[in-house]
Amino acid sequence: MRKIKAAAITATMVGALTLAACSSGGSSGNASEEPDTAGGTAANQLTFMFRGGDYDKLAYQAAIDAFEEETGAEVKMIITDADQYATKLQAAIAGNKVPDVFYIEPGKMMGYVYAGVLADLTDYVGQDVIDNIWSFGTDAYRFNTETGVRGDSADPLYGLPKDVGPFGFGYNTVLFDKLGLEAPSADEPMTFDEFVALCKELTVDMDNDGELDHWGTGLNVVWNSQAFVWGAGADWISEDQKTVTVDTPEFAEALQWFADLGLVEGVTPSVEQAQTLDTYQRWMAGELGFFPVAPWDIATYNEKAETDPENFGYDVIPYPVANEGDDWSTWLGSLGIAVSENSANKELAAQLATYLSTDLEAQKILAENKVQIPNLIDYATGEWIETDAPAAGWPANTKAFLEIAESKGRPLPGVWTYTPEWYDNFWIGIENVVDNGSQTAADFVASKQTEMQSLLDQSWISADQAKVTG
Amino acid sequence: MATTAPPAETTTWSKEDAKAAKKRSRRMHRKEHGWAAAFMAAPVLGWVAFLLFPMGFSIYASLTNWNGIGKMTFIGFDNYVLLVKDPYFWKALWNTVFYMIGIPIGLAISLALALALSRKIRGRTFFRTVYYIPVISSLAAIAILWQWAYNGDFGLVNQALALVGIDGPNWLADSTWAKPAIIIMAVWKGMGYSMLLYLAAVQAVPRSLYEAASLDGANGWKKFTKITWPMVQPVTFFLVVTNIIGGSMIFTEINIMTPTGGPEWSTASLVWYIWNKAFRNLQMGYATAMALVLGILVLIVTAIQFRINRANEFSID
Repeated sequence: MRKIKAAAITATMVGALTLAACSSGGSSGNASEEPDTAGGTAANQLTFMFRGGDYDKLAYQAAIDAFEEETGAEVKMIITDADQYATKLQAAIAGNKVPDVFYIEPGKMMGYVYAGVLADLTDYVGQDVIDNIWSFGTDAYRFNTETGVRGDSADPLYGLPKDVGPFGFGYNTVLFDKLGLEAPSADEPMTFDEFVALCKELTVDMDNDGELDHWGTGLNVVWNSQAFVWGAGADWISEDQKTVTVDTPEFAEALQWFADLGLVEGVTPSVEQAQTLDTYQRWMAGELGFFPVAPWDIATYNEKAETDPENFGYDVIPYPVANEGDDWSTWLGSLGIAVSENSANKELAAQLATYLSTDLEAQKILAENKVQIPNLIDYATGEWIETDAPAAGWPANTKAFLEIAESKGRPLPGVWTYTPEWYDNFWIGIENVVDNGSQTAADFVASKQTEMQSLLDQSWISADQAKVTG
Repeated sequence: MATTAPPAETTTWSKEDAKAAKKRSRRMHRKEHGWAAAFMAAPVLGWVAFLLFPMGFSIYASLTNWNGIGKMTFIGFDNYVLLVKDPYFWKALWNTVFYMIGIPIGLAISLALALALSRKIRGRTFFRTVYYIPVISSLAAIAILWQWAYNGDFGLVNQALALVGIDGPNWLADSTWAKPAIIIMAVWKGMGYSMLLYLAAVQAVPRSLYEAASLDGANGWKKFTKITWPMVQPVTFFLVVTNIIGGSMIFTEINIMTPTGGPEWSTASLVWYIWNKAFRNLQMGYATAMALVLGILVLIVTAIQFRINRANEFSID
């Protein structure tokens, strides 16, 4: 009896603590505060679940007000914290309470389509609407369920872009002026050699105290190496998304070059220095010459430029490439707006998704508040780039963002495969190459190839299984 | 005759009467029993709904190929076979077990603090409060602060070490030191809670035992080993059990301080790996299998602790 009692106490204790740990990690509020995410049941009712800041809410409220007035629909907005959105959506789907319209990450789309969660919007969205959105913005949500191929303009459309996010490159205009350096071209990319030469000129001890005050750059390998690897003609994956290609000589060379910026050339803050004040903060403090610039940074950068004009000013430029004449590129993110396959008001929901993605007034609010570049090509390349963007304080060379959205942008590796695990695996142990140099890039990529390929194969097997089982 | 046994009718009446009385009593208590059952049903139903059903569901899910959103496909024990062959599972499990080193260290420090703060010293209320503050602070905020403190160049920890001539490592960027760094943080965070429980236990030890020991000529160490330590053992047992259960679920600090699993995956805990598999890599079935294995391991360890504790039980007559 005592044994049973002890076992029961043990089991209950373990169970209770497990549950407590799960609940505490999941949400800051209590269960009774959880909104009902289920789709609307009445003919004109819709639920829209999304994440975002105040400006997103403001813009979407404007779009939804207009939508409600035009269609007579009733839209219930459910906004969640960004870090909890994915988990909440998954829970809503598992609990069969899928909202009518919701945000979707392009990387998770395949699983959702196979599970029958996402509605095919091809027939609901006019070609004229699609033609006026950046092709990446729609291609990111196209998917051929038979072949598993992503991004083909002829395939069914399962979402519309909330935004496209060009991960641009920039330089500190004030620092360049201070050091009497010529500004890099706004149109033509520098070569790697030119970039390193400039970085060396930017890496200086201004007050001769033996400590460097400025550096050429300071780039996090996980988020910044893509543009340089692509700029050297290498890639993580083959075009058909089936073969890992990190073991090519050009890949190893590009990665080694990236690592050598800090290890050999000494044009970046050391790992310890970057830990003390991370490179983002150093860029903001005017200590770095080059750093990424993306639309979501603009408001903060502008504020800094206004409050600290002696140290900080910025503009956007193309990413460097290995050799003169090479094509530059960078990654382009996106968040999508999808419709539930089981929505009682699918057509109305598709109409709302289109509205949220393309309503001119909403796009104006989002662009004016530097949340994103406009989704609408005609507005972005016309009135916005000519007058609205300069008036709102977007950087002088904002057209570089549009160029990325139009042709220079690529999805991050792993976004167009069923799961990104193979790509995530690449970063395990990368510090041995870029931080301490204990491993050469060539050895590193050679050691990674087999494991990454095996994970990619597994991703395809999982996709095939999901295709069969749903 | 009249004085002998009561008439038969009387006996019959008495039986019926007793029956009726019993019936009346049963009726009278029925409502009460109903309420009692209702009160008992609430936790039982809660247990079924929130523990038994999820556990049953988890066991089934662990036997399926399930991405967490679509349909489940039964695959038998494939997930468990995969788990045995998965080097990252073993690495994460090893990391999680390694973190447990912090438990005895934390308990020893907590007990020492409790003994110190149970004495009538100046400012003991202040110190008790100071030691307890980390417990009520946000774990996320603490993790960020420690991330700064561990900076290899100018971090507080290395600056303190430099004062005594030690050149500290780059804690979170060094695969050898990343786990100890997280252990130190976890010990610091949980110390106040253990200290408080020990404090209550130490203060509950009857003074007469110490007085008797003094009369028998026992020194301070003898008093500690023969009186204090056995008397606080129930608290130690409780803390060990709950710390092992809590420690096996370490996640937040890992996810904030080393979001990619640390240098060479040296800080990835099992729950962190499970979370990644379930929500990032759409392998909810496999993640559930790992979670169940973790649960069973914790259950076994806890059961062993209960057994050891029973063997060491004592009572004061």
